[in-house]
Amino acid sequence: MGIVTDKLPGALEKVPGGNVLVTRFDEIINWARANSLWPLTFGTSCCAIEMLMATGGPRHDMARFGAEVARPSPRQADLLILAGTIVKRMAPRLRTLYEQMAEPRYVIATGACTISGGPFIYHSYTTVRGADEIIPVDVYVPGCPPRPEQLFHGLLTLQKMIKEGETIREPGVRRKPVISALPEGVTLEDIQGEMKELLVKENVVDVHQAVDKLKWPSGTNDGS
Amino acid sequence: MTVEVSSLKELVEQASGTSGSPDTQEYFVNMGPQHPSTHGVLRLVLKLDGERVLRCIPVLGYIHRSIEKISEHMNYMNCVHLTDRMDYLSSIMNNWAVAKAVEEAAGIEVNDRIQYIRTIFAELERIQSHQLWWGVLGMDLGAFTPFLYGIRDREVLNDVMEETIGARLTMNYVLPGGLMADIHPNFVNRVKEFIKYFRPKLDEYDDLLTGNVIIQERLRNVGVLSAQTAVQYGATGPVLRGSGVAFDLRKDHPYGVYDQADFEVPVGTVGDSWDRYWVRVEEMRQSLRIVEQLLDNIPPGDYLVKKLNSKIKLPEGRYYSQLETARGILGVFITSDKKDEPYRLHYRSPNFNNLWCLEPMIKGDYIASLIGAMSSLDLVIPDIDR
Repeated sequence: MGIVTDKLPGALEKVPGGNVLVTRFDEIINWARANSLWPLTFGTSCCAIEMLMATGGPRHDMARFGAEVARPSPRQADLLILAGTIVKRMAPRLRTLYEQMAEPRYVIATGACTISGGPFIYHSYTTVRGADEIIPVDVYVPGCPPRPEQLFHGLLTLQKMIKEGETIREPGVRRKPVISALPEGVTLEDIQGEMKELLVKENVVDVHQAVDKLKWPSGTNDGS
Repeated sequence: MTVEVSSLKELVEQASGTSGSPDTQEYFVNMGPQHPSTHGVLRLVLKLDGERVLRCIPVLGYIHRSIEKISEHMNYMNCVHLTDRMDYLSSIMNNWAVAKAVEEAAGIEVNDRIQYIRTIFAELERIQSHQLWWGVLGMDLGAFTPFLYGIRDREVLNDVMEETIGARLTMNYVLPGGLMADIHPNFVNRVKEFIKYFRPKLDEYDDLLTGNVIIQERLRNVGVLSAQTAVQYGATGPVLRGSGVAFDLRKDHPYGVYDQADFEVPVGTVGDSWDRYWVRVEEMRQSLRIVEQLLDNIPPGDYLVKKLNSKIKLPEGRYYSQLETARGILGVFITSDKKDEPYRLHYRSPNFNNLWCLEPMIKGDYIASLIGAMSSLDLVIPDIDR
């Protein structure tokens, strides 16, 4: 049986009489999906150099993980590696690209900008605060930009997620998003909550306090 | 000279219902924002007659991150770090441009050691940028092998720079008043090793791609940009020099320690894609020469002449400073109102001006030539939109 018996002993069951019978088809499908991810060549800014070019190069060879067939058309791809800032003008196009991709589709958000807005989070009128406001994200890879090795860790995390993930009986049901390479005990909710708090603190103005700070000329506007 | 001003909508309305010749029909095609050979999220609206390009209108804004606006809320030390994300392939030179502007405005004199190290790193980064461009040009024209060769050598250089700086792409190395850190003790030796390694590789590049018949056919007499048009459109860097104008800030208005190095400025003759290709490949050789000359003469000294805190204030006024990045002249324009934040910070980015040369270059040519011509411009889209 070769590769199936070697790699997936759990998926096969010996039956009396000497034949093997595939009992858990999900596992085989998920295993095949996980090891032949076709990424979309979608890079908006700096991360694209590290994520798509350096990883495609000879040193960090992405082909080792079965994900080197980068496709320019979203209809032929099933992995969207978000490399770079998403701005408001690009957001509808990103959504279109995501919807054009073949199902099941997976998304890896790489770099600070796609996770939260990164260095462009404050005082920027165009940056989207995290790509997960537009499309669902499966794995987050932090860094600015992350090293190629970090992307591979993210890719392995995604592969693990796919292998343990959805079944044919319940399609579309996924596990929660994973942050690759973060210390244990820190969850996505913690980080998002913290970011939200900071943003609110930055953008909320106490009107009464602000008025008090202004120096009104005395005796002009006090009604007397 | 008349200036034609028309919106995109009007252009599309004009073209609908008209046809150029009885056999073909004029129509509009969108190229991008998601396209493998626009090097990012550039969108080109092409007006085609059959396969001929009649008009090529760039539409911008798909990666506009409002860096200039954010900089107005940052102190001068922090502004430097956003420039890494503009033209990310020449990040040290971008850092240097802002640092130079702030130093000139605040009247800070940096010592020779800092200038030497800055110059060496700028030239190394220029090589790195051209290596990547060389690989991507091959990939755009349909050859995947150059990409592997270019990235292979880029990684070798990346290791050398990473040892000192600690980052692979966004370097954040040059600060107003000095450098982030001193060079690594191994740095000089490793750069020498790299020069020894890379010299023969450049000849290998020539064997592989430069002499290739297909590459010559795809680049020669394609996308011809005359010297006059290049100057009119404000093109700088290899694009301008490919058109035959020998203008290089490193030579004409020396900064750093370029006046102490002996190097030549390669200049093209025709102004086609081939000339721009040749200028860049030749620039890599010249950069190696500059680095080789400066490497042994790095004087001793501090790597930071003045530890500036975040509250540095520039005197009131307007300051402009420029230098030559891998793609052309990057200008930094600061308007200061005596606060610790700039009142206005404007970047004159090289890619923005180079992009508009695309239409005069490619008008009337085939759509397949557009890819080669655009690749020879070496555009970085986040630098155009900022």
